[in-house]
Amino acid sequence: MKKLLIIATLLSSMSLMANDVQPADTINGVQIWADTCTRCHNLREPAALSKRAWKYSMTHMRVRAGLTGQETRDVLAFILESKTDEDAK
Amino acid sequence: MNKIILSIGLSSLVASMLLANQADDAKIQQLLKDVKALNAMKADLEGNARSGFQLAGYASFDWTGGSGGSDDFSGVKFAPIFHYQYGTIFQFEGELEFEIDEKGETVTALEYAAGTIFLNDYMGLQIGQFMSPIGQFVQNLHPSWINKLPSTPVGFGHDGAAPTSNIGMALRGGLPKIANLRSNYVVFVANAPRFGFAADGDTIIDATGKSSSGGASQLLGARYALNPIGGMEIGISGATGEAFDDTNTSGTSQNIFRTYSAMGADFMYNDQGLDVKAEYIQQKVGDNVSSTLEGGTWTAFYAQVAYQINGLNIEPVLRYSDYENPENRKKQIAVGLNYLFANNLIAKLAYENDTNSNIDDVSRVRAQLAFGF
Ligand code: HEC
Repeated sequence: MKKLLIIATLLSSMSLMANDVQPADTINGVQIWADTCTRCHNLREPAALSKRAWKYSMTHMRVRAGLTGQETRDVLAFILESKTDEDAK
Repeated sequence: MNKIILSIGLSSLVASMLLANQADDAKIQQLLKDVKALNAMKADLEGNARSGFQLAGYASFDWTGGSGGSDDFSGVKFAPIFHYQYGTIFQFEGELEFEIDEKGETVTALEYAAGTIFLNDYMGLQIGQFMSPIGQFVQNLHPSWINKLPSTPVGFGHDGAAPTSNIGMALRGGLPKIANLRSNYVVFVANAPRFGFAADGDTIIDATGKSSSGGASQLLGARYALNPIGGMEIGISGATGEAFDDTNTSGTSQNIFRTYSAMGADFMYNDQGLDVKAEYIQQKVGDNVSSTLEGGTWTAFYAQVAYQINGLNIEPVLRYSDYENPENRKKQIAVGLNYLFANNLIAKLAYENDTNSNIDDVSRVRAQLAFGF
């Protein structure tokens, strides 16, 4: 119970931290992508998933890989930008 | 006469023009309708919706043969994962695991089911059942398309030295860069693990998420990990609390409480086809005078090197793992060769040799086809 209370207090004070949403930066995105996306598993190329699926998978990877919100938006922007019609083949 | 013919001609011309006009109108209406429908389809495909669903997961098929045993198609596993997302503020992930046992029965397990509320860019509050944040193998490397060998390192499976999952609450995320370095964290509070007997009579620390702490005090834990260079992560983790012991046979059926702690250190590095992973995990359970069952320390370590040969889609793997508990010590060497049909569709062949402190050496050959989707 005590632990829960401590956590609740910490959370409510910290979640007030402002969210500084910057426009997605694909240059940072490609750097984070190269630095993190083969660390745990084989690379899943942009062609691997549809644009729609990438949106969900990147949120999933935000939690798994411990990315910040901005890093997640940057990587997603890079992936979506690199997708082409050839991806369906 | 001429006039009559001319007027008939003219009026039929006008009539046909009108008709043609009508036909064009109908065509245009149809086209507009088609464009609207296509736009709706496009919006749907591109996910122009605040919430949505995605199905992911993995499956694998195993074969085992070796000294002293029969040759078997030894496993079928299907693990669908559901992702639900609401805007950019919430995500749910849930994994079900279906396996077939030796008797042909389907064994199901809820591996994890947790919702994460993204409080800000650096904090996600995860509630529910999540994979244990102690170490990395259990939470991030066990899915068969990710694990580079067909088996888990000794001590890193269920009821070994590494805790499996927790029911509770975690705060996690990536941190702003510190001295230009990226890092991430997890802090969690969860229900207590159980200390007692497994179905086969072994003494175990049963550290899978439970919906009760059995009266023991809850677990408080954390992991912090640093990315010193691209492709590398070094993490340390720990947890402390109590374990409840349900082996009390004195008739009172009351649980006994023992001190409990867990500790982990993990390392990962991947660069240009080279992949190195290592991890140390320890769980400790204290004694309690009102029980005849002694506490003890469960430790496990593994180190693994793999190399993807560019252009050939072939990946040799070497892994050493070592698991010690109060009853036994087991060391294993595993050598494997993988063929990557695709990055998420992998055929694995491996040879394993186990050295046990209290039984003879055992070796086996394993093959597996694994894919992630
Ligand atoms: C900390 C380890 C880790 C890192 C780093 C990581 N992933 Fe993953 N990823 C996983 C795990 C674990 C799964 C499988 C999920 C499961 O089985 O529960 C996965 C699954 C996936 C999938 C399959 C679909 C899905 O959503 O499950 C995709 C695609 C993916 N990762 C892409 C990426 C990308 C892109 C990056 C780089 C930003 C990345 N991963 C970095 C651990 C990681």
